[in-house]
Amino acid sequence: MKKFVAITLLLVMAVALTGCGKKEVEPIRIGVQGPISGQWAIEGTGFVKAVRLLAEEINNGGGLLGRPIEIIEGDDKGDPKESSLVAQKMVASKVIAVIGAYNSTATEPASQIYDENKILHITPSSTATRLTEKGYKMFFRTCFLDDRQGLFAAEFITKTLGKSKVALIHDNSTYAKGLAEWTKKYLEERGATVVFFDAITPGEKDYSPTLTRVKAIGPEVIYFTGYFSDAGLLVRQAKDLGILETAQFMGGNAVNNPDYIKSAGLDAAKGSIITTEPVPSDLPYPEAQKFLQDFKAKYNEDVASVWTPSAADAFRVIVEAIRKTNSTDPVKLAEYLHNELKDFPGITGPITFDEKGDRLGTIHKAYIVNEKGEFVPYK
Amino acid sequence: MQEFLQQVVNGLTVGSVYSLVALGYTMVYGILRLINFAHGEMFMVGSYLALSTVSVLGMGQVASGSLGGILLVFLISMTAVAGLGVLVERVAYRPLRRASRLAPIVSALGASIFLQNAIMLIYGTRFKVFPEKLIPQISWEVGGVKITLMRVVILVVSLLLMAALYTLVQKTQLGAAIRACALDHDTARLMGIDVDRIVSLVFIIGPALGAAAGVMVGMFYYQINFVIGWTYGIRAFTAAILGGIGNIPGAMLGGLILGVLETLGAGYISPGWKDAISFFLLILILIVRPTGILGERVAEKV
Repeated sequence: MKKFVAITLLLVMAVALTGCGKKEVEPIRIGVQGPISGQWAIEGTGFVKAVRLLAEEINNGGGLLGRPIEIIEGDDKGDPKESSLVAQKMVASKVIAVIGAYNSTATEPASQIYDENKILHITPSSTATRLTEKGYKMFFRTCFLDDRQGLFAAEFITKTLGKSKVALIHDNSTYAKGLAEWTKKYLEERGATVVFFDAITPGEKDYSPTLTRVKAIGPEVIYFTGYFSDAGLLVRQAKDLGILETAQFMGGNAVNNPDYIKSAGLDAAKGSIITTEPVPSDLPYPEAQKFLQDFKAKYNEDVASVWTPSAADAFRVIVEAIRKTNSTDPVKLAEYLHNELKDFPGITGPITFDEKGDRLGTIHKAYIVNEKGEFVPYK
Repeated sequence: MQEFLQQVVNGLTVGSVYSLVALGYTMVYGILRLINFAHGEMFMVGSYLALSTVSVLGMGQVASGSLGGILLVFLISMTAVAGLGVLVERVAYRPLRRASRLAPIVSALGASIFLQNAIMLIYGTRFKVFPEKLIPQISWEVGGVKITLMRVVILVVSLLLMAALYTLVQKTQLGAAIRACALDHDTARLMGIDVDRIVSLVFIIGPALGAAAGVMVGMFYYQINFVIGWTYGIRAFTAAILGGIGNIPGAMLGGLILGVLETLGAGYISPGWKDAISFFLLILILIVRPTGILGERVAEKV
């Protein structure tokens, strides 16, 4: 009997050991960093949902280079200090690539850590110009630069609207300040005057002091380059102060979120214009239609903003690079993205990166909030 | 001039909210010499409860809420938060009544973090929005100054609540008991005052006023999140110190002064300097009058 037990045990161990041997396929780890909680939680969770959706598809189809993909989440709350901690955690988890962060202020410290540790880093949404001015070889973005949007906004204000007295309000964040400064530069080149240029403190509730000042100056256009939660408060308080009767309210691409209209109230939001990448449902590419349908089917909700497809694109170019180079060495992947990837069919349009890691081209458009509280293309 | 007057109106609205919240800090400090760091959260919870009540009653979806409905929202939110105030006092402060002064402060911070996270878990991390049509969009223009209905409501309701509180504390027997407790617990007890009941009462009044402020902030700005307790709490706390902590008219005055000054600072200098200006002023006043503007010099207790 004893002998039998011993043999059985041996057999079990042998099976268990071979089992281990077979399962030792190291997964490919890819990090997703963003504000999963906090005021921009909707964007951070959007990143995670988009990437998990695509990773699941690949894993169900047998993985990548025969290895499964494992997604590591990191919540930076949109905060630069948290972002550094998340980046260090990502390095420790041995990821080969990270998608994120949402806002430029959080992306900036992380990009340095990822570059030092030779980890491929793609942000879907941080558009501050200076992020790609540092010579980092590992840093890319699937969104377009602030200066392109600034140029578009200036063209739009002076040519399409035919206005020349502009108030620019930002929130001192890397992104918003950058966009405001580019817009100012391009506006002045076109002969328009910037009559007000200052920041509000994000997270405050009461912006009426600034708006009262703006009202006394009397601009024709107010262009706010900050985020949707503050934009909602601003436009509503502007309406209460009677500013919207004489000035057109405009927002940058961070206002491109349905919650902007909710928090402003339709009454105040209607008629306001945003400059942005096309809203997700307006993306004309076949990849976009498939992605939006899959997303809806899996989560039973529409994507929150254009940054969710952009995060999906970041993931898709990483997968493309791994497939084409047949390697998971981040340095090789980065070289591939810099030099060889040309007009990759992305969800947000053709993707090509320049030597700095910026995406070439521009897709900005102007949208106006209609009577029903929807963003519709400005005509 | 028109711009200046508009800024003063803006400032008074914000200031009266600070005043209402500051009363909660000042009353608790007066009675217990405790800085109730959880008080900002009472304000925040009040706001969230109002939002829930509004959505349960289905108000503001199609037409403006009726006056009765709005009063009901205030009533429910204030009552529930008063209950919460008493509960926090029971659980977090009363067991530490005889402990060193540091222990209740740490406990207060704990209660604050607990409440903030509880609300975050219940309502989620995204900001919440009040229905657009809840309050009728009425505004008046007086000499070029735009005044909306909600600004008037905030100012009037705050002043009424403060006047009621002032009368309660100064003119009634209950008020005399509160004042007695503020002076000396043991002597008050010898005079037949149930100190624990008075403390509970203070923890009913303070949070209820805070909740009222929270409801109005929600209705005025539409948008609330789970960290507003901290942003408003720290300003209200500053207002309480500015006016003289422990002094009820001081809290009212401190709140209004702080509101107007930071608005003028934000409007005429730069929004970035808003806090710097108000805190610089606070330091200045504390150097000149360490007890605050209306604070009286109380004889040291032995």
